[in-house]
Amino acid sequence: MDINSLFSFLGENLQQFLSYTAFSHMTIGHLVMMAVGLIFLYMAIRYEFEPMLLIPIGFGILVGNIPFLPGLKIGIYEEGSVLNILYYGVIQGVYPPLIFLGIGAMTDFSALISNPKLMLIGAAAQLGIFGAYIIALQLDFMPNEAAAIGIIGGADGPTAIFLSSRLAPHLMGAVAISAYSYMALVPVIQPPVMKLLTTRKERLIRMRPPRAVSHLEKVIFPIIGLLLTCLIVPSGLPLLGMLFFGNLLKESGVTRRLAETARGPLIDIVTILIGLTVGASTQATTFLTSASVRIFMLGAASFVVATFGGVMFVKIFNLFLKEGNKINPLIGNAGVSAVPDSARVSQIVGLQYDKTNHLLMHAMGPNVAGVIGSAVAAGILLGFLS
Amino acid sequence: MNSMIRRFFDIRFSAPAFSACRKFGVQGFVILTVAMLWSVGAQGQRATDLRLNEFMAINKTNYEDDFGERSSWIEIFNSSYGTVDVGGCYLSDDINNLKKYPIPKGDVLTSIKPRQHVIFWADNKPTHGTFHLNFWIDDTRFLVLTAGDGRTIIDSLTYPEQIADVSYGRSEDGVGVWRFCERTTPNTNNMLVQLEAASERFKANDSTGIAMTITAMTVVFFALFLLYLAFKNIGRAALWITALKGKKIIPKGSPAQVTVSGEKQQPSAGAVFAAIAYALHRYELEMSELESNVLTINKISKAYSPWNSKIYTLRETPVKK
Repeated sequence: MDINSLFSFLGENLQQFLSYTAFSHMTIGHLVMMAVGLIFLYMAIRYEFEPMLLIPIGFGILVGNIPFLPGLKIGIYEEGSVLNILYYGVIQGVYPPLIFLGIGAMTDFSALISNPKLMLIGAAAQLGIFGAYIIALQLDFMPNEAAAIGIIGGADGPTAIFLSSRLAPHLMGAVAISAYSYMALVPVIQPPVMKLLTTRKERLIRMRPPRAVSHLEKVIFPIIGLLLTCLIVPSGLPLLGMLFFGNLLKESGVTRRLAETARGPLIDIVTILIGLTVGASTQATTFLTSASVRIFMLGAASFVVATFGGVMFVKIFNLFLKEGNKINPLIGNAGVSAVPDSARVSQIVGLQYDKTNHLLMHAMGPNVAGVIGSAVAAGILLGFLS
Repeated sequence: MNSMIRRFFDIRFSAPAFSACRKFGVQGFVILTVAMLWSVGAQGQRATDLRLNEFMAINKTNYEDDFGERSSWIEIFNSSYGTVDVGGCYLSDDINNLKKYPIPKGDVLTSIKPRQHVIFWADNKPTHGTFHLNFWIDDTRFLVLTAGDGRTIIDSLTYPEQIADVSYGRSEDGVGVWRFCERTTPNTNNMLVQLEAASERFKANDSTGIAMTITAMTVVFFALFLLYLAFKNIGRAALWITALKGKKIIPKGSPAQVTVSGEKQQPSAGAVFAAIAYALHRYELEMSELESNVLTINKISKAYSPWNSKIYTLRETPVKK
């Protein structure tokens, strides 16, 4: 081989190598999505906005938006690739029920059991789901797509992923990103709505402290909860079944190891996998569409409507309650199932008006009821539209 | 009870698989029983999910098999929502010989996907493959599908005299009544009605979403209202049981219930918890102050090595001067 042909061969090799690099496939869309991923990482690390979710999702966005030569079994949408295999748990709806198992194993339903009327707030706040559903229909989405978008208003990431993977898989990335983003922004979105809808007198309402709940009640709760909700909405079984199962593991007192695994290593592993793969599924080519922009707008609207529904329900409910039993409407926002962020918002806003009025424990009631309510709502939508 | 179960294991089982159960006694027995019930249930469910769905006894001008031949055919439908393997079952047209054609095991094609069909050709040519039976459909007017045990009849059919090139099938896959089919539909649904997608139906009938909203919100409220009712009453029952047991019930009018203002108050669980938590917090604080009464001085032993020396491994941060 003479020197010229050697250089020619090396040149061709270099050219071929360059065609394999991400730079040769980079588009503006990829750069935009990378910027979004970096913003997520910044928000999570700098401001600690839902870091457990935003860091895997943000990093997943970076992973998913590094362009490559198709056909090498690298991308999340390429059958047989590692990411594709991990993504299988998302598209088949495996991860969300496992997360619900962990949520059940870490949730204390005492606040709800001691004051069961707070459950109704959790139902009222689901108005956000159906408010967004109605608006989405007006924006020319099909009912199945509108339902997948509307579930963002439930403020429950796993439920949003579960339902969108079933009803509108093509929107799942946008729905999941939107749901988690707005969950992180609950402290920003909800307080203005809460203050707008309540009077100073209402914000100062002091609620009776919750009573102590017996072990027996805590054990019965997941069993009765499962039977009552799933007999009415069997399509919610994957989520509700796992939620109540996890709670029984916790409350039975005899399966401590299982409960610890469910609320510890298991939920951590699944959170990592779901966050990373959902983030990676937002490839610019499939994600950057006008539909995604509309989904983000609808997501914000759904959170506002959900907060409105919860707070207004408490105000109306108070009309029928005796003095001393009244509910502070500032816990109405906690009917969305962003646990425990929305309950924390109730506490913070409540303290702004009365330094001694702690609403956190009261708000945890509708907050966990919201988890049940959003899972029931998802089951209904799945039953009607799948 | 425990000894009886142990004895039962000793008498009935000697296989290594059961030795663990003997070792664990009642626990092992329960686990084994659940596992056996589950496996029996799963097997039973699979076997009963198959259905004779359609067949053609006289095929003169109708569908041909892979060899270009026309013969009678039998369609089997998997009515479940899971994959079912028909391999190992038996097809027959003789009530006295249920095992006439054993469907070969191990052929991947005998796995029937959820709500799907397979066709067997009754051409008496089993050498043509798994799906070619070793009998013709004669005038027995009877077909039967039997489970792998050779005894359990999964589905059977007694049919009337057949018409050439007209199939005889269920009106709806797996469940409908048997009748002569208007159209012959081997390997596909017997019911030809085009089902409208749920989403399109809602788009047409509820374009605003109001009906869905009202329905769904009603159901959500109903479900949680039921939970509310249940736990309201369970809470009352719990308080009642507590009262019966005489746990910390403060009699009415006792000093603990009367405040300075003279108003009666319920004992506050939250306040009690807060007091306990604060007391524990104080206790721990004090413990930490008093705990370190013993001063222990240990000789620091450092095995010197250039590999762990900071002098060799670190350098100063460069400073631009």
